[in-house]
Amino acid sequence: MRMGVVFEGDASGAWNEMFSAPGQPRPIYERLLSDLNAYQPQELRQRSDQLARTFIDRGVTFAHSGEERPFPLDLVPRILGALEWDRLARGIAQRILALEAFLDDVYGAGRIFDEGLMPRATVTSSSYYCRAAFGITPPNGVRIAVAGIDLVRDEHGNFCVLEDNVRIPSGVSYVIENRRAMTQAFSALFSDHRVHPVDGYPSRLFAALLAAAPRKATEPVIVVLSPGVHNAAYFEHVLLARMMGVELVEGRDLVCRSNHVYMRTTNGERAVHVIYRRVDDDWLDPLQFRPDTVIGVAGVVNAARAGNVVISNGIGNGIADDKLIYTYVPEFIRFYLGEKPLLDNVTTYRLDDAEVRAEVLSSLAKYVIKPVDGSGGKGIVIGPQATKAELRALHKAVAAAPRDYIAQRPVALSTHPTFVGDSIAPRHIDLRPFAVNDGDDVWVLPGGLTRVALGEGDLIVNSSRGGGSKDTWVLNDESIPFRGAVPPASARSRRYPPPPRQNDEYAFQQGEQ
Amino acid sequence: MSERLGMSIRHHTGFNYDGLAKASYNEARMTPRSLSTQLVQSSKIAVRPVVPVSTHTDYFGTVVTAFDIQETHPRLEVEAVSQVESWAATLEQPLGWSDLRSQRLTDRYSEFLLPTHRTALVGTVKDEIAEWQRLADVHQCAEAASEFVRREVSYVPGATTVSATAQEAWDRRKGVCQDITHVTIGLLRAMGVPARYVSGYLFPNLEPEVDDVVEGESHAWVEYYSGTWTGIDPTNGVRETSRHIIVGHGRDYDDVAPLKGIYQGAASTQLGVVVEIRRTR
Repeated sequence: MRMGVVFEGDASGAWNEMFSAPGQPRPIYERLLSDLNAYQPQELRQRSDQLARTFIDRGVTFAHSGEERPFPLDLVPRILGALEWDRLARGIAQRILALEAFLDDVYGAGRIFDEGLMPRATVTSSSYYCRAAFGITPPNGVRIAVAGIDLVRDEHGNFCVLEDNVRIPSGVSYVIENRRAMTQAFSALFSDHRVHPVDGYPSRLFAALLAAAPRKATEPVIVVLSPGVHNAAYFEHVLLARMMGVELVEGRDLVCRSNHVYMRTTNGERAVHVIYRRVDDDWLDPLQFRPDTVIGVAGVVNAARAGNVVISNGIGNGIADDKLIYTYVPEFIRFYLGEKPLLDNVTTYRLDDAEVRAEVLSSLAKYVIKPVDGSGGKGIVIGPQATKAELRALHKAVAAAPRDYIAQRPVALSTHPTFVGDSIAPRHIDLRPFAVNDGDDVWVLPGGLTRVALGEGDLIVNSSRGGGSKDTWVLNDESIPFRGAVPPASARSRRYPPPPRQNDEYAFQQGEQ
Repeated sequence: MSERLGMSIRHHTGFNYDGLAKASYNEARMTPRSLSTQLVQSSKIAVRPVVPVSTHTDYFGTVVTAFDIQETHPRLEVEAVSQVESWAATLEQPLGWSDLRSQRLTDRYSEFLLPTHRTALVGTVKDEIAEWQRLADVHQCAEAASEFVRREVSYVPGATTVSATAQEAWDRRKGVCQDITHVTIGLLRAMGVPARYVSGYLFPNLEPEVDDVVEGESHAWVEYYSGTWTGIDPTNGVRETSRHIIVGHGRDYDDVAPLKGIYQGAASTQLGVVVEIRRTR
């Protein structure tokens, strides 16, 4: 009898995705486990190297500590059942619709303040509140064409939301590339499992961008705006542009004239109607934001205000990513949608409340403290793992600027068997599903990006912190209706556009002599 | 002054380039607003070189004229001509301190209570705050702050640059109306009184005759919240009068700069700002 690879025991106390108890695989993983057991450790090592080579060959890299590295793909896939996925996807779609309503409200009427559900100061004190976004009305109402919602599974097996990313979430190219590499290296696994494909993402995104175009654009031209080759996610910008069949441009390729945007091409200039931008607000328009940007497009915000171009995702979306605002999302769902939240937040404490602040400050070691505007795991202090000196510094920082932080209950992120060295050991993981909103429907890419913290016991999974990823499978089950089965917007009959509203009006006059 | 004034205001500004400029993108905030103390009968903005312009209203309610100039040009000129009728506000009975400090109002006007980098003040400048806060009402409090700044900070054209902060002006005890306004706003906010920056014009002649053309100025002053937004001019030590014409509001100067823009090309020098006001009735 061949000896398969060794699975190390899990002493983390976290939810193990594959085993319900030592030696007892969850039913959904039984087939995978017997498939993997057929491999010798050495074979797995070879396949693992093959995966890494595929990535280097294809240039699937990210910048880590100033150097380009392949994003390590672990060979043990993560599996989600159809029923569980259906629940997650509905929860994510619900969350995005609530965030859309919130953005429309804070850059408009401000009903949520009038109703007293959220202090206005929570928004006005955020560095992400973008007053230049006021009065820009997206033609199909969509500000969040693309979202990445970070989920973790807690000790009891419940998925909860760790943060929302509705500015320029990245990582979907890894989902596509991970699947491509896995199907090459482990084709047998795919013949044994019915896995939902992920390569429909670019056509969904394209359809959503098309649906977002200004109404007067009869043949909308879409571009992907990248900061350029030095950006950590440049590979993704290239991949998406290529798979959507649209131009990849940088700021210097676009020019605004009289509130219209044009792309410089070898055949002269061409009007642009939708900009899928992967450039942060701060760097997008030197007239409105940082004047020293060299990767932006001067005048593009006023062009969007005039309704001649759509910036996607919308400017000012960062307010919804502010982690203090995040604490209100369950309330947004009840207030704007009149629904019960399908996904919970991780238990989070608002430090603007004096009593809560005092309690948290008195026992910082019991909490995870996050800056409200951090991303990529930057600035997070995990209390139970922090040194005394770190906690002292944190105490000072939080006491001086409580609006800048939130506190969360430390969640033992679920673990998943992961190939490390020559054995398979439990490592902590999260999940970033990607959703596309075309204005009619929020479609969630089946699976998403499972990120894995490769160091034993590590809890921060971000690629910028040296994490890896896993191919993430959603299994097909015909008894469960699948949300992904809805045809994309472009294939459906179109509605007549609603009549123009008051604030759509836009005066345009000739300069006087 | 309860007098009703009719005025025609010509505001001319721009830049000279030490060579040529191109790819110039701009926003002008030079159009007065119709408000409870003034009625704008007409307003036009002309740009040279001649280009199409577009207008919108910004977050703070100010009318913005946006335009871009692609062709090379040696100078940029913007001229706004407005016909405005103006009258002085009557000083309303203020809300009491407890109302002004209620959760509802401090939240409603939170962005006019938080310091910005322009208005933030530290140190001895705030020594007298506690005393002013004991005054009977917010009007007296605002007058005390305004008088204090007028007394301490001399009006000296050229003493500061357009990018100066309140703290810099305070440290020098010198500045122009923009600086004096920022310091006063900083003090009012430090006392928990919502305060905002007003950009506009001042008709300087105390007894203007019809058809007199006088040199006015681009001016800045303060509005604080007392139950209604109430104007006070710390540079001149007066309340807002019919001779104060409002263009726009913001947290500080940066929200209402009369002309902001970016361009490619040679260094620029500001053309002198000319404000001419003719009394029409």
